[in-house]
Amino acid sequence: MGDTELELSPSQLEELQKSPSASSTSTTSSLSLPSSPSSGPRAFTSSSPSASESLPASSPPLDVISEGVNELSLVIDTEVAKKACQEVLQKVKLLKGDGEMTPAAVEPTLVNGTAHTDPSERDSGGVGQPSKTNEDEPPPGTVKSARRRQKNNSSKQSWLLRLFESKLFDISMAISYLYNSKEPGVQAYIGNRLFSFRNEDVDFYLPQLLNMYIHMDEDVGDAIKPYVVHRCRQSINFSLQCAWLLGAYSSDMHISTQRHSRGTKLRKLILSDELKPASQRIRREVLQPPPPCPPPLHHGQGLSEHSLSPSKRTHQRSKSDATVSISLSSNLKRTASNPKVESSQDEDMSSSSDSLELEAGTPVRLTPQREFIKSLMGIGKRLATLPTKEQKTQRLISELSLLNHKLPARVWLPTAAFDHHVVRVPHTQAVVLNSKDKAPYLIYVEVLECENFETSSVPVRIPETRIRSTRSVENLPDCGITPDQRASSFSTVPNYDNDDEAWSVDDIGELQVELPEIHTNSCDNISQFSVDSITSQESKEPIFIAAGDIRRRLSEQLAHTPTTFKKDPEDPSAVALKEPWQEKVRRIREASPYGHLPNWRLLSVIVKCGDDLRQELLAFQVLKQLQAIWEQERVPLWIKPYKILVISSDSGMIEPVVNAVSIHQVKKQSQLSLLDYFLQEHGNYTTEAFLTAQRNFVQSCAGYCLICYLLQVKDRHNGNILLDSEGHIIHIDFGFILSSSPRNLGFETSAFKLTNEFVDVMGGQDGDMFNYYKMLMLQGLIAARKHMEKVIQIVEIMQQGSQLPCFHGSSTIRNLKERFHMSLTEEQLQVLVEQMVDGSMRSITTKLYDGFQYLTNGIM
Amino acid sequence: MMEAPSAYQDVMCSRVAIRKDDPAKTNPRFWDELFLMKVNLEYLEAKLTSLDGDEVVMIKENINSLFHHCVQALEEEHQIKVVNALQTLCALFRGVHQKNKSATGFDIINMLVGFDKADLRMKDLMESLDGLLCGDGSESLKSLCLKLLLCLVTVTDNISQNTILEYVMINSIFEAILQILSDVSSRGQHGYDAVVLLALLVNYRKYESVNPYIVKLSIVDDESTLDGMGMVVHQALTEYNRQYKDKEEEDHGGFFSTLTNMVGSMFIADAEEKLSVQTNEAILLALYEAVHLNRNFITVLAQSHPEIDMAATPVSTLPATPTTPLGTTPPSLDMLNNPELPLDPNLQTSNLLITFLKYSSIVMQDTKDEHRLNSARLCLIILTCIAEDQYADAFLHDDNMNFRVNLHRMPMRHRKKAAAKNIPSRPLVCAVLDLMVEFIVTHMMKEFPMDLYMRCVQIIHKLICYQKKCRVRLHYTWRELWSALINLLKFLLSNETTLLAKHNIFHLALQVVNLFNMFITYGDTFLPTPSSYDELYYEIVRMHQVFDNLYCMVLRVSTNVGQWKEPASKVTHALVNVRAIINHFNPKIESYAAVNHISQLSEDQVLEVVRSNYDTLTLKLQDGLDQFERYSEQPKETAFFKELVRSISLNVRKNVSLNTLSQDVLLKEFSSIS
Repeated sequence: MGDTELELSPSQLEELQKSPSASSTSTTSSLSLPSSPSSGPRAFTSSSPSASESLPASSPPLDVISEGVNELSLVIDTEVAKKACQEVLQKVKLLKGDGEMTPAAVEPTLVNGTAHTDPSERDSGGVGQPSKTNEDEPPPGTVKSARRRQKNNSSKQSWLLRLFESKLFDISMAISYLYNSKEPGVQAYIGNRLFSFRNEDVDFYLPQLLNMYIHMDEDVGDAIKPYVVHRCRQSINFSLQCAWLLGAYSSDMHISTQRHSRGTKLRKLILSDELKPASQRIRREVLQPPPPCPPPLHHGQGLSEHSLSPSKRTHQRSKSDATVSISLSSNLKRTASNPKVESSQDEDMSSSSDSLELEAGTPVRLTPQREFIKSLMGIGKRLATLPTKEQKTQRLISELSLLNHKLPARVWLPTAAFDHHVVRVPHTQAVVLNSKDKAPYLIYVEVLECENFETSSVPVRIPETRIRSTRSVENLPDCGITPDQRASSFSTVPNYDNDDEAWSVDDIGELQVELPEIHTNSCDNISQFSVDSITSQESKEPIFIAAGDIRRRLSEQLAHTPTTFKKDPEDPSAVALKEPWQEKVRRIREASPYGHLPNWRLLSVIVKCGDDLRQELLAFQVLKQLQAIWEQERVPLWIKPYKILVISSDSGMIEPVVNAVSIHQVKKQSQLSLLDYFLQEHGNYTTEAFLTAQRNFVQSCAGYCLICYLLQVKDRHNGNILLDSEGHIIHIDFGFILSSSPRNLGFETSAFKLTNEFVDVMGGQDGDMFNYYKMLMLQGLIAARKHMEKVIQIVEIMQQGSQLPCFHGSSTIRNLKERFHMSLTEEQLQVLVEQMVDGSMRSITTKLYDGFQYLTNGIM
Repeated sequence: MMEAPSAYQDVMCSRVAIRKDDPAKTNPRFWDELFLMKVNLEYLEAKLTSLDGDEVVMIKENINSLFHHCVQALEEEHQIKVVNALQTLCALFRGVHQKNKSATGFDIINMLVGFDKADLRMKDLMESLDGLLCGDGSESLKSLCLKLLLCLVTVTDNISQNTILEYVMINSIFEAILQILSDVSSRGQHGYDAVVLLALLVNYRKYESVNPYIVKLSIVDDESTLDGMGMVVHQALTEYNRQYKDKEEEDHGGFFSTLTNMVGSMFIADAEEKLSVQTNEAILLALYEAVHLNRNFITVLAQSHPEIDMAATPVSTLPATPTTPLGTTPPSLDMLNNPELPLDPNLQTSNLLITFLKYSSIVMQDTKDEHRLNSARLCLIILTCIAEDQYADAFLHDDNMNFRVNLHRMPMRHRKKAAAKNIPSRPLVCAVLDLMVEFIVTHMMKEFPMDLYMRCVQIIHKLICYQKKCRVRLHYTWRELWSALINLLKFLLSNETTLLAKHNIFHLALQVVNLFNMFITYGDTFLPTPSSYDELYYEIVRMHQVFDNLYCMVLRVSTNVGQWKEPASKVTHALVNVRAIINHFNPKIESYAAVNHISQLSEDQVLEVVRSNYDTLTLKLQDGLDQFERYSEQPKETAFFKELVRSISLNVRKNVSLNTLSQDVLLKEFSSIS
């Protein structure tokens, strides 16, 4: 299947790639691509090893679209699909004579049966499901009739087919054809083809897919649905993401149509939790790690690790409790103080846990996570009612400490890049962010990384006081209680005998602070900083110390601590955000009862309640796309897209940018100009550190200037621009992009924000770095222009059915396209960049806007 | 049935109590009918009490039989029978005990249950009570069960002499108590009684034998249960604080007092007594036992309770007044019991520790009366336990957990009442230190509470040890502490003779001087700024006369032969660095003044001298400054707790009045059920 065999010239490909709409419209009548989306799920859910082996292949053989009979075949006429597929296969064989096809085409027939053979193995939900799907689906007549038109094959069609089969056909193109093609056959083919892309690649376009599903015609919806349903069965996370996005993107519809829309129906279907893995057997199959898998982690390993860990000296919860805690909402009735359960826990933990989990886990597949998100949002809502930052912060801390009681549980942060379970929220670290009337807040979350959050067992709870001990339980070890007690009560004390050390350890001596004298048992009666001055404590000779040394050490100690911001009750987040991330991680890890576990990680998330994050998500996608383009074209522009999770049209979560504070906070706290702050933080002009920071600043500045220009990002005051510890700037808050601007006051008419302070950091207008900046902008614009379609596509699809302010008016997309200046030569582009930079620097409006912000919001 | 004249029932009871024959012989349905009738508790109790020794012995069989049938009746489905049986049991316990104050516990068991059947009967009784407490039955019934248990636990003055409790030890109702505490609604209604009962049971033969309640309490790790316990204590203390505040405002007169008069007139039991709401040692004892015994309870201390939670929990937990801790809820409190209580933005989030600190600040204000002295002592003991706990220290010092804690300060002539609004939001340890400083400056009086002072200084010492160890640089105005400590030394010096007659003042002086030594030698590890170290020297030099006098005094005592020789000489050794500082800087300051022709140096000038003369000063490193003796209840505090439990027992017994048990309300409820 190498592209050499395709004999497509680059220019031809380019044509196909760049203007799918044009090519597809021209070939509408002559396309004969088969559609059988039904065969896709079969390949994944079947137990056939051969079929599942072929899954990860990046360019899969065509067996994916070959005949397949499974539950979804009720939806699409199998005969037609079969015929169509065979047609294609025939043609492909003729065209390429590729031998690979033959075995691939035979294979599926072996598999077909297995998916259906044993209905008894399915749970009730699985059995009921197909009929349900059927109700939702429109009659397959449209697909059939469309296909009847596909009789004659033109050369164009085969071009298209060859493109679809080529390695170059990526998800971006698939989405583009799906959106632009009016041909149901093409749509159905691509819907089917989605199965062959890597999950992560498709996930990026999930908002587009779902928006198309909601707002476009039935054919597109029919093409997308099997894939979505299939993925929902596979993953809880995907299910919830879909449900949230479907809800959010349906919200702009009229209330009457919304209720009956397909988006709402699919959302209900997902949330009803009927889209479970077809059966337990198959689910296990999926879990089975493929042969070339890294160290085979046994599922029970996480647990047994805990039980072996030396620090497990407190009374762990019993296994049954851990299972119960799957459900956040269920009232957790723990029998922790019942040692009988605990004693048996260690032996059969690993053996019984898996089966227990699977059985107990299924009925509440989505519930824990939904409850978790719900409680986070509830906190946000309640915080909004409090008047002062201080009260908000206190309330936040107390609410989170209550949330902690329900953790660990089978919940996770969807913004994270790895599978994990949330075990603890270090509640005292949470901060309320600066916002006038809403109450967004930032929390840190301790998680334990795991192989798969759906199947790995939930970590055992470790009490906060793990490292503690009590003072006087003089009577404990030798207490004897008469054996004739009722069964449910505490009956055997000896269980705790191995706990002895826990009762007798000296609290203070056990502190987890790395002190030089911690390993010696001698009383530490000297200052830890003067340790070396003392050689022998036993000697009777008096030891003398100089008062000056003490005083000096005190000032040195304070000088060595990194610059911190002062605590300000009105700006509680400044201090928390200024602390270096690594430092924070270390500090929280030390204080956490889970900190000793090797798979412990710290995550953070901003919870937004009352804000619509759909525009943020759009901006994230565009940034991510541009980042990829610039990387591909090797333009060293630096931007930092941060992950967005849309939960509804007025709530969501944001992945915070670590090690960064807003320029507003920098200026307010340091009372310095930006340049002086750079000098203070990184060193003098000539130092390596300063130069690196300056380069970072320039690269990020150029990147974000282009972003701001292309997306027309507005509301660019200093509270919305972050500065990270390496000198990069990061723009946040994409609430005003494309066609919308704040209050439409007409401020910020310049292309982007470039203040004199920024230019000063770059070394002034005549400096080399400033030229480098302009050069970067030019290169970036050229690169972006080359791949304009990939960017436009993201925005264009999301415009469908949207009432978002960024799509206000009719010319949003046209204007966006114009900003790429396809018609200009590179020389003309260079002039354009110069003009924009000059214009922005001279812009009075930028200054005016900052002044306006200062007056209205107190932002410097 | 209910209309049966109570006189008839009296007769029946008398028959049981006095006649020697078995009443059931004449009437086979006698027992059935008996428990359907309202019990005249006063009568029964009085009757039993009025009998003389021989008579009691004579009717032993009847009492045993009555007891037996009471226990049997607890299993009845008919709720009225259960109620009556519970009440009868209560009267029996009390009556028999009052009669036999001098008798040994075994005699009482024999009298009540009969030796041969005691094991079985008591087991049945405890199991029935456990079943009733854990079951889904009526809440009033549960309340009665708890009252019966409280009654049983407090029949003797000294709980450890109450031999019947041996059966309560064997047949544990610990789990039932926990269940009550873990459930929100049952906690609301019975939490207070349950917590008091638990606190008392834990103190049964605490020092002599193995008490399973101690063992079990120490290993509870279920958060909702511990939280429940904390919540009950929290609410009781909050209620106390509120009453105190109301009273304070009332005393200060004005518009507010009329308001509180209308709303809270039931709280003012004795309006004459100035600003004293009776303390609640029972609940404080429960807090102590939880903090002392259970390592997981420490987390509960810091567990914040947002107002919504308070609203969700029925406020009826609160005893109307501490004087009737077991009484029913006063109707006015039901207004607060509205579950749709709107969020009050002005309400500060609080936690048990803050409430406890406020409570302590009130209690410590006046330690003249015995109850308050005991309360204050217990507060300080609890604080000692907290200060020794690493986890507690961690959250006390957590920079992210800032609170405004409004401590109550005694109005004194020479200082103004600090405006409550000005208190900044700080880590909780600042409030603890404030409280200690407040205590130090307000209790320098003739009746010198030496042991409280010792505990106070030790708490400070423990906190500083933690800060030194963990390099916590607390932004605290240490100066206030220093000057309070110096004033304390001054007081000890000027009252040397009177104090020495009663106390070993050298022990306290040594502790105080060693606190200074901590600052001097280890200041680099925990002081917030270099200038705070300068200020320490400034303060010592400024008050050098106190140290000079102290040195003279201890030197004098240590050179004489006597019981104080040894402790006094320890103080002389401890003073070495302080004296070195004084002797080093005083000449420097004098010469600075002379050179610059200034008669009175300003603070800045002195600080300048201090700063420029550090390098020529050598200090001696002292051993064991950061060592401290860990708190241990045995043997030092044994006597205190025995006495405390005795007084709590008396108080609880007084308040579990039979009147509350025989309320018509209660019976009406059941008559309508049946």
